[in-house]
Amino acid sequence: MRRVLDTLYDGAAGLAALFLLGLLTMVLLAIVSRLWHFMVPGIDAYAGYLMAASGFLALAHTFKRGEHIRVTLLLNLLQGRWRRALELWALAVSTLLAWLFAFYAAKLTWESWQFNDISTGNDATPLWIPQLGMAVGALIFAIALLDELCLEALGRQRPKASAEALRNE
Amino acid sequence: MNDLAITALLVLSLFVILGSGVWIGLTLSGVAWIGMQLFSARPAGDAMAVTIWGAASSWTLTALPLFIWMGEILFRTRLSQDMFKGLAPWVQGLPGRLLHTNVIGCTIFAAVSGSSAATCATIGKMTLPELQRRGYPEAMTVGTLAGASTLGLLIPPSIIMIVYGVMAEVSISRLFIAGVFPGLLLAVLFSGYIMVWALRHPEQIPRSTERLSLAQKIAATRSLLPVVLLIAGVLGSIYVGIATATEAAAVGVVGALLLSALQGSLDWRSFRDALMGATRLYCMIALILAGAAFLTLSMGYIGLPRHLAAWIASLGLSQAQLIAALAVFYIVLGCFLDGISMVVLTMGVLMPTVQAAGIDPIWFGIFVVLVVEMAQITPPVGFNLFVLQGMTGRELTWIARVTLPMFALMALGLTLIYLFPGFVTWLPRQMMAG
Amino acid sequence: QTKWDLPAAYPATNFHSENLAQFAADVDKASGGKLKITVHPNASLFKAPEIKRAVQGGQAQAGEILLVNFQNEWPIYGADGLPFLADSYDEAVKLWKAQRPMLEKKLAEQGMMVLYAVPWPPQGIYSKKPINSAADLKGVKWRAYSPATARIAELVGAQPVTVQAAELSQAMATGVVEAYMSSGSTGYDTKTYEHLKYWYDTQAWLPKNAVIVNKKAFDALDKPTQDALLKAAAEAEARGLAMSKKTNTETLEKLKAAGMQILPPSPQLKADLAKVGETMLKEWLDKAGPEGKALIDAYRK
Ligand code: NA
Ligand code: NA
Repeated sequence: MRRVLDTLYDGAAGLAALFLLGLLTMVLLAIVSRLWHFMVPGIDAYAGYLMAASGFLALAHTFKRGEHIRVTLLLNLLQGRWRRALELWALAVSTLLAWLFAFYAAKLTWESWQFNDISTGNDATPLWIPQLGMAVGALIFAIALLDELCLEALGRQRPKASAEALRNE
Repeated sequence: MNDLAITALLVLSLFVILGSGVWIGLTLSGVAWIGMQLFSARPAGDAMAVTIWGAASSWTLTALPLFIWMGEILFRTRLSQDMFKGLAPWVQGLPGRLLHTNVIGCTIFAAVSGSSAATCATIGKMTLPELQRRGYPEAMTVGTLAGASTLGLLIPPSIIMIVYGVMAEVSISRLFIAGVFPGLLLAVLFSGYIMVWALRHPEQIPRSTERLSLAQKIAATRSLLPVVLLIAGVLGSIYVGIATATEAAAVGVVGALLLSALQGSLDWRSFRDALMGATRLYCMIALILAGAAFLTLSMGYIGLPRHLAAWIASLGLSQAQLIAALAVFYIVLGCFLDGISMVVLTMGVLMPTVQAAGIDPIWFGIFVVLVVEMAQITPPVGFNLFVLQGMTGRELTWIARVTLPMFALMALGLTLIYLFPGFVTWLPRQMMAG
Repeated sequence: QTKWDLPAAYPATNFHSENLAQFAADVDKASGGKLKITVHPNASLFKAPEIKRAVQGGQAQAGEILLVNFQNEWPIYGADGLPFLADSYDEAVKLWKAQRPMLEKKLAEQGMMVLYAVPWPPQGIYSKKPINSAADLKGVKWRAYSPATARIAELVGAQPVTVQAAELSQAMATGVVEAYMSSGSTGYDTKTYEHLKYWYDTQAWLPKNAVIVNKKAFDALDKPTQDALLKAAAEAEARGLAMSKKTNTETLEKLKAAGMQILPPSPQLKADLAKVGETMLKEWLDKAGPEGKALIDAYRK
């Protein structure tokens, strides 16, 4: 189970990196197409979709690496049981919010398909396709948070990549 | 429930959720959710998804991940060492020495990037590790970087100026030109502060290791060539008309890859590390941007900023009073909203009042950009603080504290452009004449 | 008391937004304060492409959309953007009369209805260089911001470029964009006269903004309020048309004062563009099928 989940987070992040590469390609294509007089319709829209997919798909992996930021002032002041209680509370609230987002992102995508919502730009893309990236990314993020919440509740939290390591990078 | 009570409740819930350690992007959505459910009679969820999708997929944002990527590539080359080698002989004589690289780096990079978060991430990737390795105090390196990187907004090109220009029907080119002197003014203020600080704390600045002759200085300056070429390439692509300001970020990534290849530091590993690093740092910011977009929507429905702006407009203040009131208004608002949202939510209500008070819309634009810059570094919601927390792993409150002097300097800058409006208006006027 | 939100995409000072503000005030008064509409101009609530979706999904009870934006979804929306099909205010009104029943049917299927529509001023060509015929447009960097403007570029041999509205001003300054089609008022608002010196008053088409409303939200109103809303909408339509005409004359004057040359298209250019219009109409009819044919027949009747 652990292996499956970690593969899921890292696999999605790999895909996110590929999409970032795709974003670069799109923007370069926009420049090159002007220089060499050809037209790729809707290139700006594709760049936006790739960026969105990249951002959402990397959420879980970034979270698991401890690179999403939060205010830990109070947490660091507390010790022992109180600290764990607050950590559980923070994780529980975050998990709830992440699942809400995942649900509504999925609903948006579903409705885009139902409403036959099509991009108004030159690309004329059915919007559910790019929105799928957001929905899937949000869902994986919500799973990662629930995963973390369970680990914390069971006291099986793995040590995080320390902030020190980050600082030296 | 009146506006005051709503504001109090939302601010309270923001502090409670944020303080309890909920991740920042999720906190913002949480507060937005509470606000919308309680005070707007509109279901929050669907609107949240529509808005976050729109914000996350918008073309104007594409420059941000690309500039972040560029920073990650440069960080893995010898470029930052080279930049320091080249600049060192020239700033050695100044009190504060290499701390000035933050200000110089940001001022130059601001001419390439339209966003302050991108400026912060790119320059920070180069200067933070170098300055720390050389033993400069972290409070000063982080603080001056946070302040100086906000210049990304004031020195053209600038996203926020485009937003303001469209809303206030002011020429964007003229706004861009008007930002140049105030931007340099701020840079001088930051550098001046570094010097004063260094003179008062000489023991905290690492000693200069070498004395160079002029010929040696000039020889060392050659190390600046790669950086200069890269910046010139990116800037050139904009002004020659090859790329738009947003697309220039892609030129930057390609240029950084080229440089890295020429220096022999480009291999599969460094490429992959830079790409993954950029993906994560952008993802971190994207989650917060998503939360901020939803919070903006929620504020739009509840109408708090609009009501406050309308209230200020109704006071019948004199010009000076109005400017003072607006400065306070935007600084307070800037603690909780990001800059663009602040402008979009209030400008429609305020612009007629500003015009009626006889305030020059170009001058007011620069005023707005300055307060938006300040919003970037005020807690709890300050994007440059977030970027720096992501890069240094330091506590948000610590970063906000070390940045406080920069906030004061920007307030001073604001006062100066009020007392000497020529800083803003002189250059665009020359352009009109020419 | 019912409260509605009405997102719109254009600045508060644009005549469409001013008309909306007046409409909201009229509704407030006519309904005796029972229906309060808050107009959110300048895309401050939802951005232009999101507004229709937001009304459909009930996130906003009403909204203002640019019809031609939605032609990817249904070709009839795109009739607004067919060059030289309806090339004057009178023709635009006529086209709207033919479109309206079809639109009402389509929107009803999606749980919405249309309140009123107001045309933008007629579209002309902004250009850096003088244009005497379509041949002068060959290779010119032409901003293609919609499927129609992209197709025109292809047909006249111009080089279509993708540049976002936010970057238009800078793109014109650096020569990334050398020509684009829009109304006099848009050119004035975007300060196009600082960079491009010619505007050809081709009167190619008059795209319309429509104010739409969520059907469920409308049905939830009592009868007198519904009537008040519809009456105010009819007034807004008439007022908007007059405002559009007035804005057109005024902005053309202002453009002239700012140094822009406002020129009638040469007979050659006119003939060339008419040919483009015919081709595009044919292509559109192929895409729009019998519905499209019915619309054109109703319009030309
Ligand atoms: Na800038
Ligand atoms: Na802030």
